[in-house]
Formats: sequence, structure tokens, C-alpha cells
Amino acid sequence: MSRLRRDPRAERAALAVSSDARPRFARRPGEQRPRRDPRAERAAVETAGAAARRRFDWLARGTGSAPAAAMDAGPRLRVVNEPVFLVFAVVDAPRGHLTTQDRQTLAAAHVLAGTAGAVAMIGGGAADEADRLLPLTATPDSDVLADQLTDLVAHFQPRHVLWPESAAGGDLARRVAVRLGEPLFCGAEQINAQQVRRPAQGRRIEQRVKPPRLITLADGAVALYAGPRCEARVMEAPPRKVCASAWLNVEDAPADPAATPLGEADFVVAAGNGVSDFHAFRALARALRATPGASRMVCDAGLMPRTAQVGASGTVLAARCYFALGIAGAPQHLQGVAGCENVVAVNTDLHAAMIARAALAVVADAQAVMPALLALLEAP
Amino acid sequence: MRALVLLSQGLHPVSGKSCLPRAEAQAARLAAMLDADASGLHAGPSSESVREALGRGLTHLTHLKLDGDPVPPIVAALRDLKPDVVLAGPCGQGGEDTGLLPYAVAHQLDWPLVAHAVAVEAAQGGLRVTQAMAKGARRFVTAPLPVLVTTHPSAPPPLPFAYGRARAGRVAAFAVSSPTAAADECETRPWRARPKVLTAQASPEAKGRLLVNPDPHEAAREILAYLCKIGVVAERPT
Repeated sequence: MSRLRRDPRAERAALAVSSDARPRFARRPGEQRPRRDPRAERAAVETAGAAARRRFDWLARGTGSAPAAAMDAGPRLRVVNEPVFLVFAVVDAPRGHLTTQDRQTLAAAHVLAGTAGAVAMIGGGAADEADRLLPLTATPDSDVLADQLTDLVAHFQPRHVLWPESAAGGDLARRVAVRLGEPLFCGAEQINAQQVRRPAQGRRIEQRVKPPRLITLADGAVALYAGPRCEARVMEAPPRKVCASAWLNVEDAPADPAATPLGEADFVVAAGNGVSDFHAFRALARALRATPGASRMVCDAGLMPRTAQVGASGTVLAARCYFALGIAGAPQHLQGVAGCENVVAVNTDLHAAMIARAALAVVADAQAVMPALLALLEAP
Repeated sequence: MRALVLLSQGLHPVSGKSCLPRAEAQAARLAAMLDADASGLHAGPSSESVREALGRGLTHLTHLKLDGDPVPPIVAALRDLKPDVVLAGPCGQGGEDTGLLPYAVAHQLDWPLVAHAVAVEAAQGGLRVTQAMAKGARRFVTAPLPVLVTTHPSAPPPLPFAYGRARAGRVAAFAVSSPTAAADECETRPWRARPKVLTAQASPEAKGRLLVNPDPHEAAREILAYLCKIGVVAERPT
């Protein structure tokens, strides 16, 4: 018996949909993917208003707007009244300011807490990313701090305790781990609710486990928390035993910005090709108590030492603030400032890459702004 | 003042060959500045590359031959040797690399531990340690003896290797038994580099402020107000 002969024209005619402009066809029975309707998509992104020509807001479509839309739909304030468990995020917060690594630690705590648990920030001041706040009594001796924290962990029994793997955080984490007699998973480079990973054996292997109780996080392990603002309720701390420090004496020596290596500096002011008066630039750096830096152009010209060069071929900064004077922002220079939290730029070119990168951008001549700023700083 | 350095057998970060970690060679230099007859202590199966420390400022080594957990034998040896200052690197290089050993040893001995040392000197009744703090700041801590000190990478560089002193140094080896450390229930794989999550980068929706051709004095006021707001310049009385 021979197979029935197909009639493609009849099949096509059966799917025809009445349309005035051009022939349109409905989906075939086996066809899964819905057909795109470019005209409807275009109409959806057209901005309202009687402009001279039609304007489209193409960025408001696709993946870009999806998280923003979800956030708008959700609650504006995250409230966890009866948490099933607690996740402690112990922050360094030097001088009360949360560092980027502190905020990453809070974000990782949110990853582990989910919707059932509450994130408790230990130490530091206020934060929009924490459900609970639990202050620690500030003390220079890490042993006394570790005793306090061990008491808090014993009292509240959090499911996880997280620290940033920074100088202070890593030190405190190890002291608490030996006091509790529990293993510490340190320097985690990737974290989610199912597993954490860390490098070992000099970065030859990586270890993966289910998130244990005590974890320290390497820089860049997790993206910052982007959910709704948290209520930051202050928790009632248990009464503390007074622990005496074993140290005999502690003296603080503040950093000398002129002698600090550029990679360690907290605040860097850098000169580019738009600066010609280097006496004023050095005086400004001294007055701001900032570490002086420079772009490649300036170092090549011999106006600043090579050790001051910022960028891919110079020093990659980890500063809290970067103040760029007369720097356009070559890609290699921007790589050097990728880790800076706050960027201030003064440049004559409105379209310079550094102006786009800056949180405060001033389109002006750096040579004119420098003396004005110096006069303002030296005013009584 | 009797100084002792805890030594480990590390792997070179580039070649993967067995070597003395740089941080421990720096600790050996700090120990040599405190004590002309500084010694080393190593617990592990072999002491081949640890001998390098004899050419970097130490005069003799104690090697505890063992395969298990190094903490109990090290604690017992320190109780026996009674040093005033014990120096160590911040973290191993080639093993578990957790940096927990100095903390576990100090906790079991009930000694104070001072981390991130860049310089040490004898002081009245104790040891004065210069600690490297974040962002280039320094702190001077005087701790009572005996004390355990871990070094910071910005401590002075290791002493140049002296071949004659390395040959002349004595190594005393003892076989000790130690319980095997509890094996962690973790899955291991070859390490793979993953990109860091860049979090400091300004997000595209958080647009900064833009001032176009302002008066220089106006611009200076705005810049100073911003620098005060983020806390890098001290708040000024107005």
C-alpha cells in the first residue's frame, strides 16, 4: 500500500489567518516556539510623548529589566520576624564604614539565609543589607574580640558564621575556630546554598563541600546583595563576661600617605596629561592626605616616578577613593582603578571614559580646580 | 631572648617544586634579629627543603618525623624547648593552606598570638611587635613572653642564602607518633581559575553626578563635600 501523498498547498491554506496586509499563518500543530511579533515588541518599547520622531527605549526589554521589574513587584522592606535560623556575618567596618568585602560577606549570608533565615551583622554600624544588628565592644586585642564572638556564637547558635578573608577578619575567624574546636573553611572563592569551594595545595586542587558552619570568603566570591532593604533590627545581646587583654601596651601609628605603597593606599589622587603644575599637585596630595599617583603619560614624561603609575602596567589599586585630575581614562588605566569604590574625575573632555566611570564627574580644567581646592583646604 | 621559627615544607607557587615558603624565610630573618642562635622546628615526613632555613639566618633545626596531625607534637616540643618567641608564616603553601596551625598551637599553649608582624624587638617585660594594619597603617603591640608571632608579606625580605651556614647548621631528627588528622569529607578536583565577581565597579543604573563647566570654586566645594561624605577627608567645621 502506498503512502498518502502530502498536499503542501492545502496544508498551508488550512493554516491561513485572515489578514489585510500580507498573508499570515497560524502555528503548525507540532510547532513549539511562539512566533515573535516584532511590530508588537517595537510598540511596547516606544516611549510616550509627542517627540519630533519616534523614540524607543530598547534597554527596558530583555534580561536587563527583568530583575528590576521583579524588585519593584516585591516588598520594599525585607522583614523576618521569626527566623528559622540565624546566619552571622562578621564585618571589619574600619571607622564604621563597610568595606566592599564586608558587603560581599553580607551578600553571601543572604545566599545562605534565603527567605527562612535572618542575616545578623556582627560589629559595624548600620547597614541596609542586614536583618539583625549585633554590636561588638570595640577593642584592639583580637583575643578579647574572639572571646566575645565565641560567647555570641554559643548563645545564639547560628547555622553559619561568615567572615571576610581580610587581615582582621581572617585573624578573628581563626581565633574563634580554635576556641570552638570546629573546622574552618577559609578563603572560599565560590559560595551558594548547595556548596562552597576553596583552593588548596597552592592552588593545585579545589575542595568542595556543603556549606559548613564557619566560613571565610575571599574577595570577589559573590555579587553584592541586590534585594529589598532589610530592617536592621538591633538584637538583645547576652550579658558579657569582662575579659582582660593579655597585651601590655598598644600604640596606633596612622598610615603616612606619602610613604604608603600605592597598592595598599586608601585614598589616591592621580595626575594625568591635563596637569602641568606638579608643585600644586603635590601640595594638594599633602593637603588631602592622599597618596599621589599618575597616569602612564606623566610617568613616561618623567614628571612622576614610575612607582606612582596607576594601571595595568603600573599598580592595580584597592583604594576606597580615587581622585583623577586631568586623566581621560585609557582602558589600561581603568583596569587599574576597577577595584576602587568611589571615583572622582576632573577633566575638560565631557566624553572621556573617566568621566563616565566617575561617581562625581566635573568637566573643568584640572589646573583651575587644583588651586581652588587647595585654597578651600587651607582656609581656616 | 630565645627565638624559634615554625617551618613547613611548601610547594613553589610557579614551579611546584618543594621549597621553603618565603613568609617563613622572612620569619627566620626576624628571629635572627632577636636571637643570634635562633632555631627552627619542623613537623612532617621529610625536612629536605626546610634545611634552606639554615642558610637564611637559623643555626639549628629540630625535625619531628611524623605522618599525622602536627599540632600535638609541636605543642609538646614547645613545652619542652621553652622558647620566648615563636615566629611562623601566616599560611602554608602546598598543603591544606588554612593558616590555622599557629592559632591552634597558641590556643593549646594558652599563649598570646600577634598576627601580621613586620618588625619585632625586645622590650621591657615582653616583645614589641610592629603590626601591619589595613591601608598601610601600623600598630605597635607589646605582648608578654612567651608569645607566638605570625609575619606579614611586607616584613623585611629574607636574608640572602648563605651556603656555608646552611652546610654548618645542625639538624636533630626525632621520630614521633601522632594521631592521623580527621579526614575532611570534601570532594576534590583540579583547581580551575574563575573570574572574580567585580563588585566595586559602578553599576550602570547608578549614574554619577556630572557638573559641566562649573566655576572652579564651585567645583572645589562639590568635590570636597563628596570626599567628606564618603569619609576619606575629615569633616570640616563650617
